[in-house]
Amino acid sequence: MTGTPFTALRGQLHDAATEFAGGEDALEGILLGLVDDVDRAVAEPLEIFPVCHHSPASALAMARRLREKQPKVVYLELCEDMTPLLTELRNCRLPVAVQAFASDIDGFPPDWAPLSVVAPITEASAEYQAIAYALDTPGVELVLVDRSSDHVFQWDARHERTDDPAREDGTGAGSGTATGTEAETALHGEAVGVEIGDLRPRFAELEEHLLRHGRVRHWSEWWHQYVEVPLGDSDHDTYRQVMFLIGSLFRRLAPGDGDRVRVDEDRERYMWTRMREHLAATGTDPADCLYVCGAFHAASRVDEFGVHGGDGFEITPRTATTWQYGLIPSSNAAIEAQFGLASGSVSIAATQWTKNLKRTRVKPYRLAGQAGTERTAKKALPPTVLPAAGAPAEDRLSGFLQKPPVLDTLDETELLGWSVDIVRAARRNGYLASTADAIAVFETSILLAGMRDRAKPTPYDFQDAAVTCIEKDRVPGRRDVRRLVEIMMGGDRIGQVGYEALPPLARDVHDRLAPLELNLQQRGVRRALLDMTSRPELRACSDVLWMLRRLLPHGAARPVMGERRLGERSIQESWDLALGTHQRALIELGYEGVSLEQVLEQRLRRTAYGPRATTAEVLAAVEDATLYLGGRRLAEELGTRALDVLAGERTVDGAPEVLRRVRGLLAYYRTSEPVLPPWIESFVRTGYAHYCTLLPTAFRDEDATVGQVAAMLGFLFGMESLALSLGCDRTQLELAVAQAHPNDPAKTALLWAARVQLGTLSRGELRARCDELLANPLVVPSYPRYLSGFVHALEPVPALADVVVEAVSNAFGRLPDAVLLPWLPVLITTLRSNAAELAPLLIREAGRIFPARLAALDAWVPPWHGQPAAPRALPAAGAAHGAALLAAHPATCDALAELLGRTEGWTEAESSAGTGAALLARHPATAEALATLLAPR
Amino acid sequence: MSDLLRAPAEIKYAEELDWLESIDDHPKPFSWRLSPKMVRLFILGSERADGLDRDVSQKWFGDRSFVERSIVTLASDRGLLLIGDPGTGKSWLAELLSAAISRNSTQVVQGTAGTTEDHIKYSWNVSMVIAKGQSRASMIPSPIMTAMETGTIGRFEELTRSTSDVQDALISILSEKYISVPELDGADGENIVFAKPGFSVIATANSRDRGVNDLSSALKRRFNFVRIPVVTNKKSEAEIVRFRTEELLRRHAIELDVPPTLLDVLLQSFADLRASAAAAGSDDEKLESALSTAEQIGVLEDSILHSNFFGERTLTARALAASLVGTLARREPEDLAILNKYLHGVVEPRGKEEGGSWPEFLEGGREAIAKLS
Repeated sequence: MTGTPFTALRGQLHDAATEFAGGEDALEGILLGLVDDVDRAVAEPLEIFPVCHHSPASALAMARRLREKQPKVVYLELCEDMTPLLTELRNCRLPVAVQAFASDIDGFPPDWAPLSVVAPITEASAEYQAIAYALDTPGVELVLVDRSSDHVFQWDARHERTDDPAREDGTGAGSGTATGTEAETALHGEAVGVEIGDLRPRFAELEEHLLRHGRVRHWSEWWHQYVEVPLGDSDHDTYRQVMFLIGSLFRRLAPGDGDRVRVDEDRERYMWTRMREHLAATGTDPADCLYVCGAFHAASRVDEFGVHGGDGFEITPRTATTWQYGLIPSSNAAIEAQFGLASGSVSIAATQWTKNLKRTRVKPYRLAGQAGTERTAKKALPPTVLPAAGAPAEDRLSGFLQKPPVLDTLDETELLGWSVDIVRAARRNGYLASTADAIAVFETSILLAGMRDRAKPTPYDFQDAAVTCIEKDRVPGRRDVRRLVEIMMGGDRIGQVGYEALPPLARDVHDRLAPLELNLQQRGVRRALLDMTSRPELRACSDVLWMLRRLLPHGAARPVMGERRLGERSIQESWDLALGTHQRALIELGYEGVSLEQVLEQRLRRTAYGPRATTAEVLAAVEDATLYLGGRRLAEELGTRALDVLAGERTVDGAPEVLRRVRGLLAYYRTSEPVLPPWIESFVRTGYAHYCTLLPTAFRDEDATVGQVAAMLGFLFGMESLALSLGCDRTQLELAVAQAHPNDPAKTALLWAARVQLGTLSRGELRARCDELLANPLVVPSYPRYLSGFVHALEPVPALADVVVEAVSNAFGRLPDAVLLPWLPVLITTLRSNAAELAPLLIREAGRIFPARLAALDAWVPPWHGQPAAPRALPAAGAAHGAALLAAHPATCDALAELLGRTEGWTEAESSAGTGAALLARHPATAEALATLLAPR
Repeated sequence: MSDLLRAPAEIKYAEELDWLESIDDHPKPFSWRLSPKMVRLFILGSERADGLDRDVSQKWFGDRSFVERSIVTLASDRGLLLIGDPGTGKSWLAELLSAAISRNSTQVVQGTAGTTEDHIKYSWNVSMVIAKGQSRASMIPSPIMTAMETGTIGRFEELTRSTSDVQDALISILSEKYISVPELDGADGENIVFAKPGFSVIATANSRDRGVNDLSSALKRRFNFVRIPVVTNKKSEAEIVRFRTEELLRRHAIELDVPPTLLDVLLQSFADLRASAAAAGSDDEKLESALSTAEQIGVLEDSILHSNFFGERTLTARALAASLVGTLARREPEDLAILNKYLHGVVEPRGKEEGGSWPEFLEGGREAIAKLS
C-alpha cells in the first residue's frame, strides 16, 4: 500500500512496533492494520461519515460537513422500517424514541412477546443533524439502511445464550434499575434499544486501562476528555480519520465473541447491500451521497464493504409478525440507563453542544416546526469556504497523534458560576451550605483537576469536589449532592411527542377530552372537575375517563370524587389526570387499536376467551362491557361465554364471586331493562342445575370452604324463584340437599340451615339440636365451629338471623370459659373477614331481641326461654300441612269438584294429626274474632 | 525498625519516601514533603505506565477518588474527616497521608469520653510552673499544637467519641489557625501560637457512633467529609487481607503459608454472613460484629497465631473456623445461634456440593460452638 497518504505514519508505527515488541508480530499487525482500515475507509468513493452516539463533536462535524457538501442522498444507520416516522419528529420535543412494537408475534418464540425496539433521538446528536438536513432540504433523500426491527430479533441469539443479550449486541434492554429517578429511567419500558454509533471498547481490560490512565471514572468522561475536547474544532478530514482510527482500534482489540461479531458483520453487509441497491435503482453518483454510521462499522472488513464490494449477502425475509410504529417520549436518564452510560452524561453532552454552537457559530439544522427551543437554523446557507470536497485525503492522523493533548483552559467564570449554583441548590435541598462552601468547592475542583492532569475541571471533577465539601450527612429521602450536580448540569430532559405525531387513538382521546379545557399534553397532574348537570356534554368525557382508568396504569387517570357502578353514575366527578406523564402508555395503547372502545373490547374478549378464564372473570368482563361500552351486543356475547365456562367448571372456588356478580347484574337488568337478557336467564337456569349437581360433593370436599358452599346455597336459594319460573325443578335441590353428608361442623350447621329453608327441618328442631350440642360435654369444644357455619348461613337463609342470635347468645351464656375465650378472637376475625356484609344483619337482629336499656335487662327474659318446651314444633311451611287443612274443611273443594264434574270423592288422608287444622281447633279465638268482624258486612 | 513492635508508616516506608522525594519534581503545596501526585502514588502504588525505576506497592485499597479527594482537602483550607464503619481503613489512610505529607504520623490525639480541651490545646508542667512561673518553657503543647508550630499534619482519632465541648475546641484552631494562651504575657507575642503553612487536621469518626456526640454544624463546616465504605469487592478485599497478613507474619517472624483456598473460604464466609446481616429484620437476627475487613484480618491473625504456637505450624480450615466462631460470637445465645444456623444451613450443603476445605471448616466450627455453648 505504498503511495497512500499514510506511508509516513506506517513507517513510524513499524518502527514503534519493532522497538516495543522486538519485530514483526501481532503488535505490528494491529498497528498497521489500524492504518489500513483508515486508508480503506478514506478511499471509499461513497463518503463515510463516522459518528459516535451522544457526541456533540460528531454533531458539530456533521452540521459543518452537511453545509459544505450538501449531499443529495443521506444513508443512515437506523432500522429501515422506521423511515416514515422520522418526519413526525418535528412535532415532538426531543428527546423522543422511535419505537417499533409487536404484540402479535409470528415467527418468534411466544414468550418473547411483546417485542419492542426503541431508537432514542436527542437534539445534540449527529443523526438528528442528518435527519433535519435531509427532511428539510428539497431534493435530498434520506435512506435508512440498517436491518429492520424484525431482523433485530431474528438475529438475536438470546435463546442460545444465557448472558444479557442486549449489551452484547451493542443494544441495551431497558432495565429501569437505576436508583433515584425510577420514573424517568423507566420511560422506555422493556424495549430493546438500538443506537446509532455505538462506540465503546468491547474489551473490558482495554476500557479499564483507558479509564485508569485517563484518571477518569466513566467511559463517557474519558470520551469527553480525550476525544470530544480535542476534536471539538478540528477540520473534517482530521475528524474523519481520527474517528476511523478509534473505530478500528476498538474493532481490532476486541475478544472474538462470535455472536456479536456475526451480528455486527451481518449488519454491515446488510447496510452496504441496501446502499448498492439504492444507488443502482436511482442511478445516483456515489460522490453525492453521505453514509452516516458508527465509527465501529466504518472500520469494517467484510467483503460487501464499499460501493464496489461483493454482492454475496442475501437479506432474509421478515417474519409474519405485524409491527406497529410510533414515537414515544424519552428522557436523558432513560437513555443513560438503557445504554449503560454514566448518569448525567447525556445532559452534559447536550450542554456541551449548546456551548460548542455558541463558540464556533456553526448553524445547526433543525426540523421546521420543531417543538422545544426556538428555531435558529436557516436552510441552504451558501457553503462556507473550506478545503474542496473530493480533494485527495491527506494524512491528518500523524499530526493529531503527535500533538500533545489539548488542554482546555480554565474557564474561571464558568466554574465560579457552577460553585455558586451548587451551593444555592444544596441550600434549597436542606444542606447547611454557605458562601464558604462555594469557595471551597471552587478551590477543590481546581486542585482535583490538577491531580488528574487537567487544567480545567470537568463536570465530573466538579461533582467530586461538591460532594467532598458539601455532603456531611446522608438523610434518606433527600437528594444527594451528586444528584444535585447532575440536575444543575442540565438535569434530565424529558421529551414529549406532539399531537400530530400521536397515534390515532391518543389523538382521539385528546380530542374527546378537549371540553375539559385542560392542557393534558403537559407533564404533571391536572385536576378535572366535571359537573354533568350543568354541562351535559361532559358525560362523554366522563365515559372516556372511566375507560382510561380501566386501561392505563394506575395514576394516569384517578377519580377523586364520583364513581361508576352498574346502574349508577355520578352527576359530579373530579379527576386527577396525568396523561402527559403517562404518554408512553397511551401511545402503546394506540398500537392495539384506533379507539378506546375497540381496545377495551379486544381486551375484554381476550380475558373472556383466555384458556384459563373462570366464570367470575368472564362475568367481570360482562360487567365492564356493560359499564364502559354500553350496548348489549358485547355483554350478551360475553355472557354466553360465561355460560360455557360455568358448564365446564368442576370446582366451586369462584362461587362467592359468581354469586356477587350475578346478583349485581340481575339487579341491574331488572331495573334498567324491560326484559331480562336471554343469556342471564340461561345462566340462572344452568347455574341452578350446575350448583345442585356440585352441592353434595362440595359439602363433603375438604377443599371447599364454608364460604364457598354458602355462596352456592345463596345462588340456589336467591335465584330460586327465577330459576323455577324458567322451568327448573325444585326436587333437584331437595335431592341434592338430602345427599349432602358433611363431616365438618361448620358445613353441618350450614346444611341444617338449608334444610330449615327447604322446610325439611323446623326451627324448633334446629334449636333442639343446638341445645344438644351444648349439653354434650364431648362436642362442646366444636360448638363455635357450628356457630361459624350459622353465620355463613345468613347469606343463603337471611331469615334465620334470630336463630343465629340465639345460638350466639347461648354460646356466651353456656360455653365454659376454656372454650369460649379462645374462640372469641376467631369469631371476630370470621365476622370481619368472611361475613363483613352479614354482620349488620346480625347486629340489627340482636338489637331487636335484646333490651335497649340497662334497666330493662334485669326483667328481660330471652324470647326463646318464654316458648313452650321443645319439641312442640311450629311448622314453617309445607305441602303436607296444607293438605290437612283441606281435609278438615272440604266444602270449597267439593264445590269446585262438582263444578268440574269430578265425583271420585276424597281419598283417605294417612296422618293428618297436629297441623294447622288442629291449631285452629285448639285456639278458635282468632277465627271467631274475625268472624265477628266480618259479620256485619 | 526491627526493634519496634509496630513501626509507624513514615519509619516503615522511610526508604521509599526518601526515594519518592528525590524524584518528585511536581510543585508541592506549603511545607509538604511530597507533591499531591506523589502522595497518591505512594498510597495507591505505581503502575508500569508511571515509568518509575522501581515498584511502589499499593498500601491502601479502595476507590482512587477517595484518596484524591482526601489529598486535595488537605491542600485546601479545611480539615479532613474520614468517616466510615469500623475496620474500613480510615486510620490507616490517615496515617499514610500524614506520613507522606509531613513524615510524621504520630501527632495523634485519641478521642475518648475522657479527652479534655487540654489534650487538644496545651497543658502545664506543674512543677516547672511552681519553680519558674508560667512561660513557654513550662507549657506542654498538645500533638495538635506541635503540628501547628511545625506546619505538619495533626491527627484526631475517633472524633465523635469525645464530648461536644472538647470537639468545639477545634473550631478556632481550624478557622483562625492559632491558639491563644491567655496565661502568658502578650508583650512579646508569646501568648499566641500561630500555625505554620502546611498545618491541617485529619480526623476519623466511626459512622456507627454517630449521634453519640454528633459534631456541631460549626465544626462540620470546617471539615470536608470523605465517606469510606466497607469493601465489598471480593478482589480488593482479598488483596487487603493478603497484604495485612503478610505484614503480620513478617512482624511476628512466622514462617507459615496461608493457602489460597483457605483465604477464599474466609472471604466467602464473611460475604455470606454480610448478606445474611443485610437481610436480617432485627438486631437479634444479625451478628453484633460489623463484619469489616479488619475483622477478617483479625480472624486470620488469630488462627495463624494459634496454629503457629499451639498447632501443627500449618494453617488448617479447622483452626480458621474456630477463630471465626471465637471472634464473631460476642453475645450468647444470639450470635452463637446465628453462626450455628450459618454452619448448618450454608456451609454444610456447600461442603457436600463442593468439598474442598468446607467439610473441615464445618467440623471446626461445630467443635468451637460446642465448646462455647
